[in-house]
Amino acid sequence: MTRSRTSRSRKKRHPGRLRWLFGWALKLSLVGLVVLAGFAVYLDAVVQEKFSGKRWTVPAKVYARPLELFVGQKLARDDFLRELDALGYRRESNVAGPGVAAVAGNTVELHTRGFQFYEGPERAQRVRVRFSGNHVVGLDQAGGGSLAVARMEPLLIGGLYPAHNEDRILIKLDQVPPYLVETLVAVEDRDFFSHLGVSPKSIARAIWVNATAGQMRQGGSTLTQQLVKNFYLTSERTLSRKLTEAMMAVLLELHYEKEDILEAYLNEVFLGQDGQRAVHGFGLASQYFFNQPLAELQLDQVALLVGMVKGPTYYNPRRHPERTLARRNLILDLLAEQGVVSVEQATAAKQKPLGVSARGTLANSSYPAFLDLVKRQLRQDYQESDLTEEGLRIFTSFDPIIQLKAEAALADTFKRLDGRKGVDEVQAAMVVSNPETGEVQALVGSRQPRFAGFNRALDAQRPIGSLIKPAIYLAALERPSQYTLTSWLEDEPISIKGRDGQVWQPQNYDRKAHGTIYLYQGLASSYNLSTARLGLDLGVPTVLKTVERLGVEQSWPAYPSMLLGAGGMTPMQVTGMYQTLANGGFNTPLRGIRSVLTAEGEPLKRYPFQIQQRFDPGAIYLVQEAMQRVMREGTGRSVYGQLPARLNVAGKTGTSNDSRDSWFAGFSQDLLAVVWLGRDDNGPTPLTGASGALQVWASFMRQADPMSLEAPMPDNVTLAWVDAYTGEGSDAGCPNAVQMPYIRGSQPSPGVSCGGQEAGGVMDWVRGWLD
Amino acid sequence: MKLTVPALLCVVALGGCATVQRGSIPVVEASGSASELERDADYTRATSGQSYGAQPVTEPSAGDAVVVMVPQQSAGSPLQVWSADSPQAPQPSYDTPVISQSPSGIPSGGLAADEQLDGPVLALLTAAQQQQAGGDLNGASSSLERAQRIAPREPQVLYRLAEVRLAQGDAVQAEQFARRGLSYAAGRPALQASLWDLIAQSRERMGDAAGAAQARQNARVSL
Repeated sequence: MTRSRTSRSRKKRHPGRLRWLFGWALKLSLVGLVVLAGFAVYLDAVVQEKFSGKRWTVPAKVYARPLELFVGQKLARDDFLRELDALGYRRESNVAGPGVAAVAGNTVELHTRGFQFYEGPERAQRVRVRFSGNHVVGLDQAGGGSLAVARMEPLLIGGLYPAHNEDRILIKLDQVPPYLVETLVAVEDRDFFSHLGVSPKSIARAIWVNATAGQMRQGGSTLTQQLVKNFYLTSERTLSRKLTEAMMAVLLELHYEKEDILEAYLNEVFLGQDGQRAVHGFGLASQYFFNQPLAELQLDQVALLVGMVKGPTYYNPRRHPERTLARRNLILDLLAEQGVVSVEQATAAKQKPLGVSARGTLANSSYPAFLDLVKRQLRQDYQESDLTEEGLRIFTSFDPIIQLKAEAALADTFKRLDGRKGVDEVQAAMVVSNPETGEVQALVGSRQPRFAGFNRALDAQRPIGSLIKPAIYLAALERPSQYTLTSWLEDEPISIKGRDGQVWQPQNYDRKAHGTIYLYQGLASSYNLSTARLGLDLGVPTVLKTVERLGVEQSWPAYPSMLLGAGGMTPMQVTGMYQTLANGGFNTPLRGIRSVLTAEGEPLKRYPFQIQQRFDPGAIYLVQEAMQRVMREGTGRSVYGQLPARLNVAGKTGTSNDSRDSWFAGFSQDLLAVVWLGRDDNGPTPLTGASGALQVWASFMRQADPMSLEAPMPDNVTLAWVDAYTGEGSDAGCPNAVQMPYIRGSQPSPGVSCGGQEAGGVMDWVRGWLD
Repeated sequence: MKLTVPALLCVVALGGCATVQRGSIPVVEASGSASELERDADYTRATSGQSYGAQPVTEPSAGDAVVVMVPQQSAGSPLQVWSADSPQAPQPSYDTPVISQSPSGIPSGGLAADEQLDGPVLALLTAAQQQQAGGDLNGASSSLERAQRIAPREPQVLYRLAEVRLAQGDAVQAEQFARRGLSYAAGRPALQASLWDLIAQSRERMGDAAGAAQARQNARVSL
């Protein structure tokens, strides 16, 4: 109107000029239209390009080992329940569907969720598990019929995030729980299913609400606009950006179905910040806040998550539980108001607590040391972008239950040592593996296991002290014609002049010499003098070669001081060395990863179990015998203050000069654990291997309830009766006769039986009966 | 009823396989073929379906009975690992083996009492067998490693691992697994012979004729 009036008045005065102006205006607006059209075409290309391709890059996901269930399995009921909690199983009296468990005394009934593994799918099923003691004694299908074996879905323990740190679990629209879409639409965009990308109605409503309230209360953005904003644009708030957003929203609606847009929205929306990591999409938010797959969420949980869309930081349920609860209940009321749910449903849902999983529990802990190991192994095989963008699924051997027990053992022991001068500065590292499979099950890289940082388990290379001794005794016992467990050793002072003129003069820990001792006692009591003599007899290079055969590559100089552990190793390397000792002389490269699947569940790569026999099983059997005597009668005997006497374990203490390093490495049948305590600045500590690391080890083993070490006796080993005092052949019936294992042919010739007659042994036995 | 069709299909498939490969338990190679088919049918019925190793096995007779993880060795063997009467037997639950779970139709003299597998290990060996028959050697390996984690000292699992590694062309690892199996096969001469035989095959594959001959010699001595 205004324009036409002015035009007319101008026309009157300057008709020629006016036409000129009008012409220009026309041309300009034509140009504008062309530019706008061009811009629209450009935007259209942008919209389509990004939306039709791969919409998101997804970081690789790292999973713990899946818990296997079978009859005879060592698994305490409470550990199982802990795992179920971590997996977000709801405890209910009736097992109505996947992700629900019912506990009745020693019986747990549950409906597993199913999972795609390397070997194939594990289907979701209802199972009943019966426990007795610390074992599974019954495994049945709920419908009847026993099950041979079932596998739980594995716990997600982390991801490999790219620089921008966006994380998400992609979901499809058919995986969303009831009410999610309805609630989202009701709260964020009531006209979503009818508008064309922008909604004049909502804008008008927003203007009205904001005007009456006198402040910005409500945005008029549709879900489509919100998606466009997050997906394509920056977060600046200018008019031009707002217009671009509206145009793109319309374009998006032109090309794609409402369902596609909704699904993209559900995956894109930002719902929280976890340290460096941004939590995107409802799929991940469900895991992050409830430990549950999205599909299993209940009405109250759905309302909570939808309520958070408005302000994920402001409505963070962990940080601001009260205001988040109020927001959730407001949304439940709104749902009842709009008839999405009944008033009763809303009231019932409002009664529920927030139900957000606590931080620091099994599911909500970070395991930086183990993830570090996984990353290092993966980086040898994959490009960084493969790991951070392709959504790979990494299956590991990590056992969260064992990890928490290892962490608890460290914390408990430090608590007990508290007050000793200098303990505050002591750092720690721990590795737990399964000696029979070579799989790493737990890793602690710091006394504060939640902090990523210097991973001492992998990177702290420290003098191993007496941990080297089994290698010396093994090298000796590999020569049965020269050495047996009951050969005599001289534990007497020794000094040698090195090539550099320096004199090496080792000392025993108690600064005494112990005279003539049995070979095995040198190891059991960790005597330095006799061990150094033995090592020198064998030759330092022979010993270093043995260390290498045990699995540790080192470039130590062949100095005599290496015989007493002057060389450095990381806790992980020590684990590799002891793994060979624990596994019958078969070396296995330690593994943390089992297999890798693509995002779609297709097998990609396997990290197979590999072994290599490095030693005669007989020699290893004898070393294990000596290492068991370390625990029964030697430097490790305090372990039986914490462990039951029936349990056979083998191990070795290690203390470096001035107690700078406190080590213990030892194993049962099914668990190998290495503990290191020491200061980062390499200063002296108040701890020996026995008073420090061994205490952590014992505490861990007590909690982990390992299987007793029972190695099968190799064919070339025989048991012989010897006199405990003379080491000479004896007889079963004789006083002081003890049985010792020998490589066949190296045992002392049998002693005369003590009854005076040849059948004395039997007679003694019969007499024992008669008495 | 629904399981009969896949069961029959698998019987046909397994029946078509080379005899050397298909014995998941090496010591039964001498047994009659008809009963072997019957046995395989039983295996298949026990574990068919897509979910490997997670299917119900035949219900044990006693409701309270417990399945043993590893075979019970014959009473005479010198040092048993998880035997029921060893003082370190971890739990009373191992005391009552249920052999009714082992496949039926085994001729006397075929599978010795101490070679019978049950429960999870049998299920996983069977799954591996099916994967191998279908050409999925990686899957078979993976299932066998799963079995090895459950029963790390069961020589029959190590035997099968060695067999699959050999099929994959990894003769070095095949020999190593067979040797590990031997260290757990004390008192089981038939199994020892099979393991030595596998070592001989591996060495042949590696071009070590003398070593293979030595292994064959050991196989004969074992029997």
